[in-house]
Amino acid sequence: MLFGRKHKNPIKIADKKVQQWKYTTCGYCSTGCSMEIGLNPEGKPVATRGVAGADVNRGKLCVKGIFEHELFESSGRGTEPLYREKHFEDYKEVSWDSALDKMADEITRIQSKHGRDSFAIVSTGQIMTEEFYTLGKLVRGVLGTNNYDGNTTLCMASAVSGYKRSFGSDGPPGCYDDFDHTECLMAFGSNLPEQHPIIYWRLKEALEKRKFPVIVVDPRVTMFAQFADIHLPITPGTDLVLLNSLAHVIFDEGLADQNYIDSYTNGFEEFSKLVEEYDPVSAAKICGIDEDTIRHVARLYANAGAAMSIWTMGINQSTHGSDGVCGINNLNLITGNIGKPGSSSLSITGQCNAMGTREWSSCSGLPGYRALENQQHRDEIAEFWNVDESFFPAKRGMSMTDIFPAIETGQIKGLWLVATNPMTSMANSARIRKTLEKLEFLVVQDSYLDVETTQYANMFLPGAVWAEKEGCFTNTERRVNITKKVCEPHANSKPDHWIFSNLAKRFEQGKKMTFPETTAEIFEEMRELSKGEGRILDISGMTHEKLEEQKGIQWPFREGDEKGAQRLYTDGKFQFPDGKAKLLAMPYIENNEKPDEEFPFWLNSGRVVEHFHTRTKTGKIGNMNKFSPTPYMEINPDAAEELGLENSKYVRLVSRRGDAVVMAQLTHRVPKNMVFIPFHFHECVNRLTLGLLDPYSRQPAFKQNSVRIEHIDQDLAARLNVEMRTF
Amino acid sequence: MFEVREDEPMYALLKAVETDQKNIYGNDIDLVKNSGQPKGVSLRINGDEGVGDNPDRYKQHGFHFTADNCIGCHACEAACSEKNDLPPHLSFRSVGYVEGGTYPDFTRMNISMACNHCDDPVCLKGCPTAAYTKHPEYGAVLQDPDICFGCGYCTWVCPYNAPQLDPVEGHVQKCNMCVDRLEVGLKPACVAACVGNALDFGVIETTPENREQKKTSIPGFPDPKITNPNIRFQQTKSMPREFTRTDSAPVKYHKKDSNGEYKPVVDKNKIKDRQWNLTKLSSRENPLVIFTLTTQAAIGAFFITFLGSFFGGERIQTLTASNVYVPFLFSLIGLQAFVLFLSTQHLGKPMRFYRGFNNLRHSPLSREALGVAMFLNCLIVVAVLSSMDHGFINLIEAGTIFNIVSGIVPWLEPSMIESSILGITTKTFAFLTVISGLIGLYYMYSIYRIKARPFWDHWQVMTSFFGTMFSLGGILIGIVCIPLALMAGNDMTGLVNSLISILSGFIAFGLLLEAIGHVFHARDLNKNGGEGSASYHLLTSQYGNTYITRNIVLGLTIVAATATASIQLPEAWQGLILWAFLAGIVLVTSLVSRALFYVMVIPTTMPGAFFWKNKGFEEHARETGLANLPQVGVLPCSH
Repeated sequence: MLFGRKHKNPIKIADKKVQQWKYTTCGYCSTGCSMEIGLNPEGKPVATRGVAGADVNRGKLCVKGIFEHELFESSGRGTEPLYREKHFEDYKEVSWDSALDKMADEITRIQSKHGRDSFAIVSTGQIMTEEFYTLGKLVRGVLGTNNYDGNTTLCMASAVSGYKRSFGSDGPPGCYDDFDHTECLMAFGSNLPEQHPIIYWRLKEALEKRKFPVIVVDPRVTMFAQFADIHLPITPGTDLVLLNSLAHVIFDEGLADQNYIDSYTNGFEEFSKLVEEYDPVSAAKICGIDEDTIRHVARLYANAGAAMSIWTMGINQSTHGSDGVCGINNLNLITGNIGKPGSSSLSITGQCNAMGTREWSSCSGLPGYRALENQQHRDEIAEFWNVDESFFPAKRGMSMTDIFPAIETGQIKGLWLVATNPMTSMANSARIRKTLEKLEFLVVQDSYLDVETTQYANMFLPGAVWAEKEGCFTNTERRVNITKKVCEPHANSKPDHWIFSNLAKRFEQGKKMTFPETTAEIFEEMRELSKGEGRILDISGMTHEKLEEQKGIQWPFREGDEKGAQRLYTDGKFQFPDGKAKLLAMPYIENNEKPDEEFPFWLNSGRVVEHFHTRTKTGKIGNMNKFSPTPYMEINPDAAEELGLENSKYVRLVSRRGDAVVMAQLTHRVPKNMVFIPFHFHECVNRLTLGLLDPYSRQPAFKQNSVRIEHIDQDLAARLNVEMRTF
Repeated sequence: MFEVREDEPMYALLKAVETDQKNIYGNDIDLVKNSGQPKGVSLRINGDEGVGDNPDRYKQHGFHFTADNCIGCHACEAACSEKNDLPPHLSFRSVGYVEGGTYPDFTRMNISMACNHCDDPVCLKGCPTAAYTKHPEYGAVLQDPDICFGCGYCTWVCPYNAPQLDPVEGHVQKCNMCVDRLEVGLKPACVAACVGNALDFGVIETTPENREQKKTSIPGFPDPKITNPNIRFQQTKSMPREFTRTDSAPVKYHKKDSNGEYKPVVDKNKIKDRQWNLTKLSSRENPLVIFTLTTQAAIGAFFITFLGSFFGGERIQTLTASNVYVPFLFSLIGLQAFVLFLSTQHLGKPMRFYRGFNNLRHSPLSREALGVAMFLNCLIVVAVLSSMDHGFINLIEAGTIFNIVSGIVPWLEPSMIESSILGITTKTFAFLTVISGLIGLYYMYSIYRIKARPFWDHWQVMTSFFGTMFSLGGILIGIVCIPLALMAGNDMTGLVNSLISILSGFIAFGLLLEAIGHVFHARDLNKNGGEGSASYHLLTSQYGNTYITRNIVLGLTIVAATATASIQLPEAWQGLILWAFLAGIVLVTSLVSRALFYVMVIPTTMPGAFFWKNKGFEEHARETGLANLPQVGVLPCSH
């Protein structure tokens, strides 16, 4: 054998000279991975590693987490507050004081002229829970507008609404540990390996120890669908039909857990009557899954000792998203699969702190899962905050997807966007563009100046990103975890809670209230507010120190508790007044924009592993962005053949809303009448989408639209592509 | 030593298990006895004198890849790039995929691939600077960028695309097996990062826990016979009969019924129509196009005159005896020196050119470099000695040249230059010039006999290179000598009659040699399948028009050169013009041929993804300016 050199030089291996590791929680998705950021002797973040002892990720990280230390200095960060009178003028740098003064003046002006609700606020799932709480306090206690929502309406609203309708409260009842106990797992519209690789790994680990059937419902042959024991390639938007039909078979064949139904649920009669109409023969014609398979899956699920369902945007982002969630909850209630190890309705959440905003931002009411409609809740919070109870709106106001049309109609004149990018993320970009033009005053508060929505802003406030500040996120399995401050905020950017508190101080009402300086102090307030008899969202046992020590704690975690609670509803007691869950009878209503002669293709959208949301973070980190630097669509090679399309060539897609240019990727991952486009890219898929709203959650149906495909001049397309990708 | 955390997870720890004595290729797994090197020596990682306490330190290690499990999540690539601090345009590990079937019966199989630390490391053999070492510790094949001069030859010979040429730094880097982690009992970063439980690592031939196979190949993986790679696979799920690639390579993989293995075959779907693509002929290898053609021409030109003077070619002897000969030799020297310089500019680090001779034991590149260098040096001696002989003195004043020579070699006295000794010495060196030239040329040929590049791995390279030696050699003699002779006042008619026909004969012979090679090459490429056939498909489609035109012109020039060799035109100037025209066409054809030779090659490397490691997308990004955005991960064009 050949060995080469006898006289060997020392081996050189890159050494980043990490001197100190700082504890954080990943700021991308909701898996909630614990990670450490390595600082070199100059205090610069240079490395990332997963925390081995953390229960969530056990040392693993996905591609996004692995490069998270690079995002502090990535391009496009905001440096100074900026202001301009009109959106077509140039920005001028202003001081924080004058920016916040101006902002307070404008809010006062708009509200006094057009009413309190004429100024709207749309926040995010990206900032810390303490910051959400502070923003909620500012909005509910000081500004008083009822048009306040988070961009979680685009991703998790259906899950929230479904949980509330079925169980009486938001809050995913299960956890990742359920994978180690379940005997059957069914995933609806969830592509775990791509969207939540670490949760997928937890599932894979469980499967390596003990094999159990995995059923994946997805119109696309994702890696997850490919690895599933049973893949159900469902017709887009028809999950409710499948779910009702599964219930039909379970009742029909006497497989239901009647004892559980009788003891812990209401609505059985109405529900069982409705699902009678969804026999597999009729259902198969709508949902595209043959009758035998429906029966087979129903038996498998109902006969499993413990069965669980997970779902993501395939359910949430549809016109029956909320119904779909309730349908999954129905399935688990009738089979007695809630609150036991391996039995759960587990919504896999989107953003790192989508849960935090649901819990504490007051978007849908008042902090800590409290409702505006509940007098006791109103009194508690009014007293705690030193606010006149009558200042709170009577009931929840508009959601994000209704705020934009209200700008269109002139009801809303001013808008404050916090760490969200509707120009890229909302359906029908053309309409959003026109809407934003109409605003008298738009403030964009973001870590990135190049977030596309700044094109229409009058004011830009640079926010500190992720670990440039300290605070908490809550993950999919209700685990609160902490991010320590790794480095100073970039340039003159400020933590979001600082911005909220300092704006509050500019209002008379704000001066009467307290806005603590540090997130640890804010956390104390939340802790205090979480106490109470029968409350599930109880974090009273947590402190920032304890969170780091235990590497994240699941709520409820009451004072004196040793460990967080892994599951909710273990006692079968739900959050309705009578303690019983609801079985909901939901007929399927066909209202999707389906393919027709003029627009013959389904347009489906989704995520790729290397990107996060609108790419403001991941699009600048070359080691991730390189895996998909420009938008593309998956199209079936047979359809491409008929249309004369070639792999890697550009095409133009046209819908009833507009057009988009993408590169064609020929693959049998998608059926012949469907194209799939990753949603991350600006000026792309959302130029095409309709986004019909779910009646309960107001979440848009991003995944059920129709398009046609046109040829485009390749040079022109390439030029457009370069222009739209330049950061 | 590498920091080991107290709570390092189990999956990241190397486990001590029973291991075999021999690997599947019949080689010892324990490496230290064959290496002749002592145990317990520090690897001196970043100067650290510590010695790892890994009990399996001297056993060949390798990756185990469960292809059924890979989800294509990029965590392995990312962990590798994070640990090795790599810029976006490089990666020691890459994930590509193949896919097959019809919706919804569809399979995508991801393949994560880095260096396989082969038993037979062709990179180590090929590297002219001896930058590679296979260590008895773990069997790691490591490359030292501080030695490397960035020729990129290892990137040609490696079938797995493991060595990464960094055009920015001007050197190659590659997977280092994370030997710093191995020393402290940790698995490599990529393995510890794997989220699909697909990638594992350990002593070779040990099957990881919960796994049941250790195959040496999966679809898309090159023939393991090329290098005896240290990677094993598990792949038990049913697979479609045919797998396609999403990248631009016109290759797919087809299952053989005999043994269920997959063979690469041409994917004619990717490019169907016949194109010219003349601009795409210009590549990073442009300096090599010039270097090989010119070197072959120079060696050929000297070889022809040498043959003539020895074997009584009267017309050639007239030339070598004439006053044109010495300036002709100096022209060859100038030309050869220039293209040698040009070839060093092709290196990432030209100032390290002298390291090209470091690996004469194994590297054809080192041997070629030595051969060509010797050719040039001997040629210089011949030229100097010849200038002291008759020919040149007649042309320029004798004193001048002598003064020049004695200026360089001060001890030289006029009396020392005895013409008979001079003659013998000159002839000896002329002989050495020819020998070293031919040796250089032979190794220039063997450079391209690369198994991982089936398009090159054919004797046609020999006929092409030696054919060019004659065809361009003949042309070079004509181009240099005819104007010189005319300037010196020689009679055109005599010249044309004496020289042109014989040169045309050599040109015709060289072209014929090349053409024969092309015919057999095309036949064998088609017959053998695989990446070679795919290259041939590109040749007849993407470059189809260029290729066909080249073939027609080549045929015509053979006829024309044969005609010029055998027919005398009524007027000498007519013959001269015809010949000049012929020479011009042959030059252009040779240029196109050689450029095609470089751009056509499709290596046996791993399938790429839709963007990453897709040559088609890289070209597109460069053409459109996407590559100017650093986050796209494609470097803008540098040639």
